Amino acid sequence: MEPVDARYPFLGRAREAVRASGVDLTTLVATADPVVDRARERVERALLDGTTESETPHDWDTREELLSYPVARILVSLLDADAAVEKYATAEAQTAHTRFTSDFVSSDGRRDRIDRQTLLAEFDLAADCRAEPARPTGDSTSSRAGRGTASTRRGSDWFWLGVGSYLSLADPTWGTEWRLVNRELADGEVRVTREELDKLLEAGVRARVAAGLPFEGVDDAVAAELEREVSDLRELLAERTGTTEVDTLAPELFPPCLRGLLDRVRQEESISPQARFALLAFLAAIGLDQQEVLMLSHGELTVDTVDKTLEVLRDGDGTQYPPPSCRTLEAYGVCENTDDHRSVAGHPLDYYEKKLRRADDVTDWRERETT
Amino acid sequence: MERRTREYLTGRFGDYYRGAAVTPPPAASDREWGHIPFTSGEGTTMVRHQSLLDIAGGPADLPDFLAREGPRHVYFSAARYDDPGSRSMAEKGWQSADLIFDLDADHLPSVDPETASYPEMLAACKEALVDLLDLLQRDFGFGDEEMQIVFSGSRGYHVHVRDESVRTLDSDARREIVDYVRGIGLAEDGLIESRPNENGVLQKHLRLDGGWGRRVHEELLSYADELREMSQPAALERLQELDGVGETTADSIHDTVTDDLEQLRRGNLEIGSGARTLVRALTERVVDDQSVPVDEPVTTDLRRLIRLPGSLHGDTGFVVEPIELDAVAEFDPLEDAVAERFRGRRVMIDVTDPGPVPVGGDGRDDSFRFSEGTQSVREFVGVYLLARGRAEKAAE
Repeated sequence: MEPVDARYPFLGRAREAVRASGVDLTTLVATADPVVDRARERVERALLDGTTESETPHDWDTREELLSYPVARILVSLLDADAAVEKYATAEAQTAHTRFTSDFVSSDGRRDRIDRQTLLAEFDLAADCRAEPARPTGDSTSSRAGRGTASTRRGSDWFWLGVGSYLSLADPTWGTEWRLVNRELADGEVRVTREELDKLLEAGVRARVAAGLPFEGVDDAVAAELEREVSDLRELLAERTGTTEVDTLAPELFPPCLRGLLDRVRQEESISPQARFALLAFLAAIGLDQQEVLMLSHGELTVDTVDKTLEVLRDGDGTQYPPPSCRTLEAYGVCENTDDHRSVAGHPLDYYEKKLRRADDVTDWRERETT
Repeated sequence: MERRTREYLTGRFGDYYRGAAVTPPPAASDREWGHIPFTSGEGTTMVRHQSLLDIAGGPADLPDFLAREGPRHVYFSAARYDDPGSRSMAEKGWQSADLIFDLDADHLPSVDPETASYPEMLAACKEALVDLLDLLQRDFGFGDEEMQIVFSGSRGYHVHVRDESVRTLDSDARREIVDYVRGIGLAEDGLIESRPNENGVLQKHLRLDGGWGRRVHEELLSYADELREMSQPAALERLQELDGVGETTADSIHDTVTDDLEQLRRGNLEIGSGARTLVRALTERVVDDQSVPVDEPVTTDLRRLIRLPGSLHGDTGFVVEPIELDAVAEFDPLEDAVAERFRGRRVMIDVTDPGPVPVGGDGRDDSFRFSEGTQSVREFVGVYLLARGRAEKAAE
């Protein structure tokens, strides 16, 4: 285990170091090793702050830092939510970016640093990327004649990257300047600045970290040991859920708190304005329009209230305001964690998504025959 | 299509495959196969979700299968799968897909399908193919060996790119390639960057090392050459034909192309007030001339079925003819895509929809017409008319 493995735990060599160490993650978790605390911090900071850097870096040694990465992956897998994977991978990648961009320009010879060539090789880009030979200032005639090898430390300002690799890593939503149509493309290579190449490497790290997450088949004993950590993290995640892609309507799969609310509405019981808002926000988030809300509530949610609320909730492609989490609903007196449903997910949308995913053959409520 | 016609075409298509060397694509066993038989009704039923093992036992037996079935159309998937014969896409297990470009006369802005004749459409399509190949070779760096160019057998061309670097790209990445080829989303800023001059001062320069910037720069230099060869009044008049160029700007540009040619060669745009205007006007022209209206859904679909090169197109009887890169300029689909097998004899057909026919004539214009009724024609003309539904097979 080298310090560089701890700083870049997603590298092949770090994975190898974990394997070679012979450490058994099950034992580690069972013995409440400090590694678990650091792993929880990794994921917690990813969810809250967009980084996985420790707030107290001097508290952790190389071993704890390195081993916390595979344990963090287990935690993210147990969270079993797309948002968790997304945030965690992005945070690991941003942390790596901060580290490697500093490493690339440093010349202090510290052994825990990495050079650009090593990182390029890690993502199979070494043969697909070359530094552009420096051109004399003022001369902007074609520089493509000269072929150099990728310089690894400072050196060139420009690089040429294979178009396949460029397209695999670049995201056109980063801005028009990332669109292929706006790039210099010649002989199958795309010209990028040093900073752009570093951003592409960050995207490579992100994809590497996200690959295979969440993985299935976490050992039951390990899952049981990590229950408290996972439950805490799930609460954090719940506060941060955005819109959803769900478009199937199956009221029986709603979380018990909202199902209860819907039943009360249908039975003409009056509910608090907060409760009505929570219910409508949830229904809007899963894509119901005004007419469908009226049908579902047996006409008890009146056109007026529904219209106004939906108007506030909607934006172009979904809902502007995600519905409140179960924790918030508890404050409204709506959610009492009936049937311990928060152990499935701490947010009504996550709960519903999971239930839908696990259910076989759900017929959309709108397509069910009326009886 | 009457039974006699159907049986005749099935039989003769089978005969074609008996004599033709149809080469299966690379990794043929990893692809999904599909075909459409000649059937009686109006509708067509595609038999798909088949592996090569399902239909023929393996790549070597493909010719036997085609000879036996005489299918109207034959397709294979651009994608390679773990289990290509599985019926659901999820179970197929997608591995990779060739990058496919489809040029169809229907999508060319220069062609009006209502008025253009078939030969005119094909000619326009080949011009677009030449532009596409230029982009694929010079910009994308695809070589002869990584591309298969094919006449579609009807109204266009296909290019199959099998370069490993692009085979695993997802749909969004392929859309980026389509937009590049079509010049969609090109921003002026994408063509220009700031570079320091000898004094370290940043200057706006055309990005001339590749991409659309390089193409605009090439046009700029050749346009400048043309202007310099003209008399000054003629050059000024020519300049004012450009969008956004009035008398003053024309003067300024003319000075630039005559006095600052070296700076122009370097792509420096801070030479006189007209340089940016000129670049803007020429960009539009370059994109109009050199972008290619490939059919987007074909390129971005990772599971598309595409016609088998060397097979027959069942709506024309033409061969889906592979074309070598250096033979594209010479290729004449109405001559070169006629199956040799259908050249030797004459057949009796009953023409039901008379009119001009694009094959078999001399000048291939409207002068080659058929009138209604039973007559003897050269076989490939007969196959064309039968396949188009403009005639039925008559007794020999």
